[in-house]
Amino acid sequence: MSHTKNQHLNVRLLLAAFFIVALTACAPAQPTAVPATQPVATVEPTKPPTAPPSPTPQPTPAAPTTNLADSCVETYNADVDYFPEKVTVEDATGFVVEYFKHYKVVTVLKPWRGAEQQFKYVIVQCGTPKPTDIGDALVIEAPVKDVIAMSTTQLPHLEKLDLLDRLLGLDSFQYVNNPKVRTLIDAGALVEIGSGAEVNIEKTIAAEPDLVMTYGVGDPQYDAHPKLLEAGIPTILNAEYMEGTPLGRAEWIKFTALFFNREAEAQLEYAAMKKRYQEVAEKAKAATTKPTVISGMASKDKWRVPGGGSYAARLIIDAGGAYLYADDTSAGSLSLTFEEVYDKAVKADVWLLTSFQRYDSIKAILEAEPRYAEMAAVKNGNVWNYDKRVNENGGNDYWETGVGNPHLLLADLVKILHPALLPDHELVFWRQIPAAP
Amino acid sequence: MKVSAPSGVGQAAKPLADPFPPLGIRRSVLVGLAAFALLAFLLSLAIGSVPIPLAEVVHVLLGGQASEATWQTIILLFRLPKAITALLAGAALSVAGLQMQTIFRNPLADPFVLGISSGASLGVALVVLGGTSANVTVFGRTAYLGDFGLVTAASLGAAAVFAVVLAIARRVQSVVTLLVLGLMISYLTSAVVSLLIYFSIPEQISAYINWTFGSFGGVTWQQMRALAPALLLGLTLALLTAKPLNALLLGENYAASMGVNVRAARWLVTASASLLAGAVTAFCGPIGFIGIAVPHLCRALFGTSDHRMLLPAALLLGGGLALIFDLISQMPGARAALPLNVVTSAVGAPVILWIVMRRQSFGQV
Repeated sequence: MSHTKNQHLNVRLLLAAFFIVALTACAPAQPTAVPATQPVATVEPTKPPTAPPSPTPQPTPAAPTTNLADSCVETYNADVDYFPEKVTVEDATGFVVEYFKHYKVVTVLKPWRGAEQQFKYVIVQCGTPKPTDIGDALVIEAPVKDVIAMSTTQLPHLEKLDLLDRLLGLDSFQYVNNPKVRTLIDAGALVEIGSGAEVNIEKTIAAEPDLVMTYGVGDPQYDAHPKLLEAGIPTILNAEYMEGTPLGRAEWIKFTALFFNREAEAQLEYAAMKKRYQEVAEKAKAATTKPTVISGMASKDKWRVPGGGSYAARLIIDAGGAYLYADDTSAGSLSLTFEEVYDKAVKADVWLLTSFQRYDSIKAILEAEPRYAEMAAVKNGNVWNYDKRVNENGGNDYWETGVGNPHLLLADLVKILHPALLPDHELVFWRQIPAAP
Repeated sequence: MKVSAPSGVGQAAKPLADPFPPLGIRRSVLVGLAAFALLAFLLSLAIGSVPIPLAEVVHVLLGGQASEATWQTIILLFRLPKAITALLAGAALSVAGLQMQTIFRNPLADPFVLGISSGASLGVALVVLGGTSANVTVFGRTAYLGDFGLVTAASLGAAAVFAVVLAIARRVQSVVTLLVLGLMISYLTSAVVSLLIYFSIPEQISAYINWTFGSFGGVTWQQMRALAPALLLGLTLALLTAKPLNALLLGENYAASMGVNVRAARWLVTASASLLAGAVTAFCGPIGFIGIAVPHLCRALFGTSDHRMLLPAALLLGGGLALIFDLISQMPGARAALPLNVVTSAVGAPVILWIVMRRQSFGQV
């Protein structure tokens, strides 16, 4: 893979990196696609394509019936629709896509909480000309040949689209759970470029990614994209975390697919996931009781609970639980006083901890904070944490496989709240905390 | 020993320009301050985000049973330890700030500005984040390491920084140099903390950052068994430093000539101030501005620089104000809560500005 190649070319790449930095320092910030390996559109007719005969009377090659997932256009025809397979967005509210004949425009509507800015990306079929009237939008040539993923939540999408062989690097190796990606890491096939504002620009330039997929929080102190874009690296924001519903988050597989022309696969994968999610939700509706649920944990005298309009709240509600803050409408989390939450939580049937700290027993929780002792869930032993699958560095698979597979998250919660409804389901992410070690 | 009016002006006291009224302990003022602290204490028991009728609060405090079991818990396990912590911590920070302002002859000295709190933060960070990149469960150790471990780490960190500042302060006389020194020590310790953070997982970092917001409400009764004795011991030691501090106001030579064992006095001040700042920082996080603002408020309100008056006054006013700050941060009626440091800074910064505008000169303590 490119990593070993890089080792041989180390010196030359460093020099190249130096020149690229020097060049981009002089050039405007608009990132340029790396054209070196792209075939220039040729004028003379090439070999006749192997595609079936064209229904149109044009002498040029026939219109493709599928998206070009692995190749470029060799002879461009302005009348041909190069994206016969398109995505349709059903549940995600954070991006919209518009298709044109040889390019598509995707807009990230809510890149972070309170963002006033939207990000527009023009994805151009490689081998076709760049559209001219697109302002200063970032242009990406599709299909992208390799990608650096800056969040573990992006990995399940790449895996489902069968694109892990295009993975060039990650922000950090530490938090990865996906066994296939771990194998790639162990084989030395990936580069590690660092997270957020600590991103290593030189390493990234040397890796020559076609695409870096990151996320933003709107604070230059934590965000990687301002630095990466300034260095001329094609960098896009994936704002899946801003979605308020589990299905909405999972649907960002279609966003990822756009850059690889894998629309057909994304449509199928998402439809299957949604169907499974709805099947589980349907089962949960059969429940005769609605256990009350409290989530999160106090830190000193503050207790951060998911807002009633949040992703976590939606999962609890869909799983047939009565979430204590369901009447709230905020999509983020609420920072409340311990006293205020305690007043409600003391009667909750189920306590979902969402703690990164691994507690071996309820006894250990009470040693750290004895004030939980009176809670009904503590007394009944109905305390759960989502730490069943956490790697040795603290990377939680809930935020990797889980986010990409909402039906698994939902099935887990249904199993916790209504065990009789899913007798055969084995918990994937959640673990019941025993009363004593 | 008869205390001969140290005027509170720096080394070169000008007898004619003494802006301060005569010294002495004004008992009526201290009684008034004690009443203020008591009132603030009772208010913070009565007011919270969960509305509980005043009659119920009084009933529970007198040993009765509330009509709702939850109220009983909220008053006895949430509000009472929080109020005691705020009272003690506010007193401790104010007294430590007063001691430092005198010993450094610097009106801007406080546990925060001179880097003492940073030292305590470093101690806590080493315990909370230290050596953790390999293992998530390590953070869990703080719970088992014991609360005394946390206090010890914070106090040692505070004492180490304090000792360094004090050692250098003996060689350099300039106020500005000392401030720069404190600033540099803060940067150094925060560099080490940042390094630890860099190798920690995001949730651990958020736990640490949460700690830096400052809070009185995290102290449970079990932790109170470590915090209260530490602070009471520190406050007692501090009250013993009133006379040496009065003498030190006029310089070390003057103090020595008055029969004060300067070395022992410095040691006592160092020990009590580090213990106070370290223990508060360990349990409540670094809390800004109380330590710097309250001593100035006391001097200005009561027109004295006699530590026999200032120490108990700062203790009572600091305790009462900390309770009020905490009440404001809970925003009665609202469900959400502001970080404590937001409130202390919002109130503390104008006080410091007021001092600067009023005094014109920094040289006077």
